[in-house]
Amino acid sequence: MTRSVRLLASASLAAVAAMGATPAFAAGTTAGSTITNSVTLDYKVGGVSQTQKSTSDSFTVDRKVNLLVTEVGSTTTSVSPGQQSAVTAFTVQNLSNATIDLALSATQLNGGTGAHGGTDNFDVTGVKIYVDTNTNGTFDGSDTEVTYLDQVAADDSKTVFVVSNVPLGRSTGDVAGVRLTATAAEGTAAGSVGGTITASTGANTTDVDTVLADSNAGGNTQYDGIHFAEDDYTILAASLSLSKTSRIVSDPVNGSTNPKMIPGATVEYCIAVANASGSASATNISVSDTLPGATTYDSAFGIKINGTVTGAVCNADGSAGGSYASGVVAAGLTDIGAGVTRTVVFRVTIN
Amino acid sequence: MRILIALFALFAPLAAAHAAGNVSLSSEVFVEKTKPDAQGKPVVSLEPPAVVTPGDKLVFVLSYKNAGAEPATGFILTNPIPAAVSFTAAEGDGAAVSVDGGKSWGQLAALKVAEANGTSRPATPADVTHVRWTFGRAIAVGEAGKLRFRGVVK
Repeated sequence: MTRSVRLLASASLAAVAAMGATPAFAAGTTAGSTITNSVTLDYKVGGVSQTQKSTSDSFTVDRKVNLLVTEVGSTTTSVSPGQQSAVTAFTVQNLSNATIDLALSATQLNGGTGAHGGTDNFDVTGVKIYVDTNTNGTFDGSDTEVTYLDQVAADDSKTVFVVSNVPLGRSTGDVAGVRLTATAAEGTAAGSVGGTITASTGANTTDVDTVLADSNAGGNTQYDGIHFAEDDYTILAASLSLSKTSRIVSDPVNGSTNPKMIPGATVEYCIAVANASGSASATNISVSDTLPGATTYDSAFGIKINGTVTGAVCNADGSAGGSYASGVVAAGLTDIGAGVTRTVVFRVTIN
Repeated sequence: MRILIALFALFAPLAAAHAAGNVSLSSEVFVEKTKPDAQGKPVVSLEPPAVVTPGDKLVFVLSYKNAGAEPATGFILTNPIPAAVSFTAAEGDGAAVSVDGGKSWGQLAALKVAEANGTSRPATPADVTHVRWTFGRAIAVGEAGKLRFRGVVK
């Protein structure tokens, strides 16, 4: 090394340090490309311009295989017990400088902390992987079930849905963690998944070598050609409680003043359906109640539904609705949100 | 005999160029690799471009030598940046860069890049299309030197 080169070397390091980090190129120059550097030299000898000199050298860009799986969004997927086709979405990116296949697998956590907190304590069923075929970002009927992504071009990304069914009987806060793993595979043939890509070992060859460059973010192992991300399903169930109260309205002797439970007296029943705070909204609620023996349904009063309670006291309000048939009062209630109580009120007379 | 003729044919252009050109020029490229040493400290080394992937830092080394019998003047080395390389820095006295394909030259800080909307912005290293060294002095007989510039594989 000559003196001038030493000087240049130190200057060069300073210049690079001042410029900070290497600029980020996503997939970058395609594997197998040749980079040729050409330099020309003009000069004179004895004041006469000489023939321009030129030289060049070339090298081949090798294959850098990098892939990234990320969750779409940053929140858990809230599900109801018994929900079918609950969807979690992931983005799978090919950050390589070559087209590759991406083999996919979806696995479930076995205990441990979910991606969004909570402890994994149940498994979903029927886990399937779909690719967002129509690229609308939403899981719908036109999306295709897959086990791999075929020939993903450099820098391309796909939205992948993990779709599964939630068992019944889980309660609010239960967590099922799922992991989507993508493995880099050779993308030379269309319509089938290629062999797993491995890094070239040994000395460099003149052909395109392969370097695995995937990151260790999120608990991954770096440079193994495999990348995963996790998401979780968290149960948000309705938590309904039912209470039934009664009061005597009147009797044939005392009227409504201090009525007694004598034959002919009118008794009002109030069935209150409460949904605990922090729960999912309950829908399609139907209430049915079989009348006690020795009572007769008061058809003049009818049935009031969707009434309210104050504290634990039934307000006996609401609007007319429900039905009575063969000794059974039945009523469908409007959806009950978290922390809301709705009532069904009806009257009977004592035989 | 045939072999001898073939060999002569091979060397003939080289010898002729040497006699007429009397200046030699070569271009080499190295990859800057950072690897931990035994103590885990990162060590930067320059390696031949064996395994090169996007994002790798490259150092281009241009070597020249006046192998002739007379000093050379008007010495200008011009190096277009390969399309797949993003320029980061050049070193050496008289290094100038171009951001417009070699039409105009200057120090990077003084150059502007025209935007599509008619305005212009200061040039950045990634805009550089050519690097050029102009020697204001004669290169003496037997004098050799190296010039470098750096880039990153896009």
